[in-house]
Amino acid sequence: MIKKTNDIHSNSKISEEIINNPFLMLLLQHFQITVPVQDLKVSQLCKLYNINETLFIAFARLYNGSTAIPELKLDHNEALTIVDFLRTSHRFYSEQIYPEIMELIDEMKQLNSYKEMKLVSVFFSNYFQEVTDHLDYENDVFHPYVIDLVNQLNNRKRTENKEIYSTLNYKDHHDDIEEKLTDLKNLLVKYLPLQKDQVVRRKLLFLLSELEFDLKIHTDIEELILIPFTMRLEEKLKLIEK
Amino acid sequence: MKRIHIAVLDDSFVICEGLQSVFSRFSFIQRLTHASSIEELECLLKKSFCHIVIINPQFVQSFQSEFLKLKSQFICVKWIGIVYSHFSNEILSKLDGTIDVFDSQENISNKLLKWVRTPNDDKTTQQNKDTLSEREIDVLKLLAEGKSNKEIADNLNISINTVITHRKNISQKTGIKSVSGLTIYAVVQNYISLDNY
Repeated sequence: MIKKTNDIHSNSKISEEIINNPFLMLLLQHFQITVPVQDLKVSQLCKLYNINETLFIAFARLYNGSTAIPELKLDHNEALTIVDFLRTSHRFYSEQIYPEIMELIDEMKQLNSYKEMKLVSVFFSNYFQEVTDHLDYENDVFHPYVIDLVNQLNNRKRTENKEIYSTLNYKDHHDDIEEKLTDLKNLLVKYLPLQKDQVVRRKLLFLLSELEFDLKIHTDIEELILIPFTMRLEEKLKLIEK
Repeated sequence: MKRIHIAVLDDSFVICEGLQSVFSRFSFIQRLTHASSIEELECLLKKSFCHIVIINPQFVQSFQSEFLKLKSQFICVKWIGIVYSHFSNEILSKLDGTIDVFDSQENISNKLLKWVRTPNDDKTTQQNKDTLSEREIDVLKLLAEGKSNKEIADNLNISINTVITHRKNISQKTGIKSVSGLTIYAVVQNYISLDNY
């Protein structure tokens, strides 16, 4: 049984935290931390990988189910760490978990003769395309904007066309990409006729749940941490100019 | 008690009036509509859900391919022949049942109730709470056709707010929010035919 505790702190042993909540493996993967982690404490692990401890703990608490994230006192360069983390998770979605899910859906399609499976396959392909568009927008527009914002703060100089885009545009553009995963889980569990796919269906359900969980945290990181942080950086930049 | 909706496809005034008169004695019949051609019937079925279509087998015989196409589109409808002249078994076998003009009132009532009985009828109240109402099914079918809230409202003669309420209820009952997810649900539940997509 997964036992989550929100009070992960500097002295927590990361291995124990992972045993209690294996979803923390995703956190490690997105920070590009490799296991085994021996008996390292959170503070030691962060030092070893040169990760800001406050940020690591805030993310870990989100993975442990907390959404009460206080305003983090971070250097503006930490925005780059957040962007790196998010971009690594984008690659995890597009290169690992989505293809794995698609493979299982194809397997289910082969096992089942009923025609609805074709619709499920189209449903997921279309959904994957929507997610890809969403991720592309972040990769191509918002993340470069954040990187540029940090560069301007480091150079203490604002560049041209500064008013065209802001975090508010991103906030308005930010949509829910988890909804259709829940739809698919409901279809699998409640409605799609069962034939010989019990095992594949279980594997698919686990993968969808893993993806749904990670996407939820991903959205929380963007909405609860990155957006307020970059809005503060925008204000900071305005002050420097004065 | 289940309230059933019936459509009649027959071009005989006497038969239509006679059926209306008989059906008016059955409290479980909520709506009775009439069509005089296959095309008219198709429009009617697209507009609102019907449990039973009572059809003159002459239409099946004369417009076999059109009839079979329509039947495949509305597979949750029971297709019942109203028999008052001789038809071959081959024609009658394309239907789900028949009513004979010589059937007694009780016999007709029992047949109608038998045709609309579903496994859900015997299940618990909780399960009924999760079953879509007939109006919700009408909304779902139009939604799956890609219609907007306004188009659905116009089509069913209801307000946009009512459409939104129906949509909320559908999502709450099914656990599915997206239109594409609801389309799959509608196909699985046989509310719409896959051939249309």
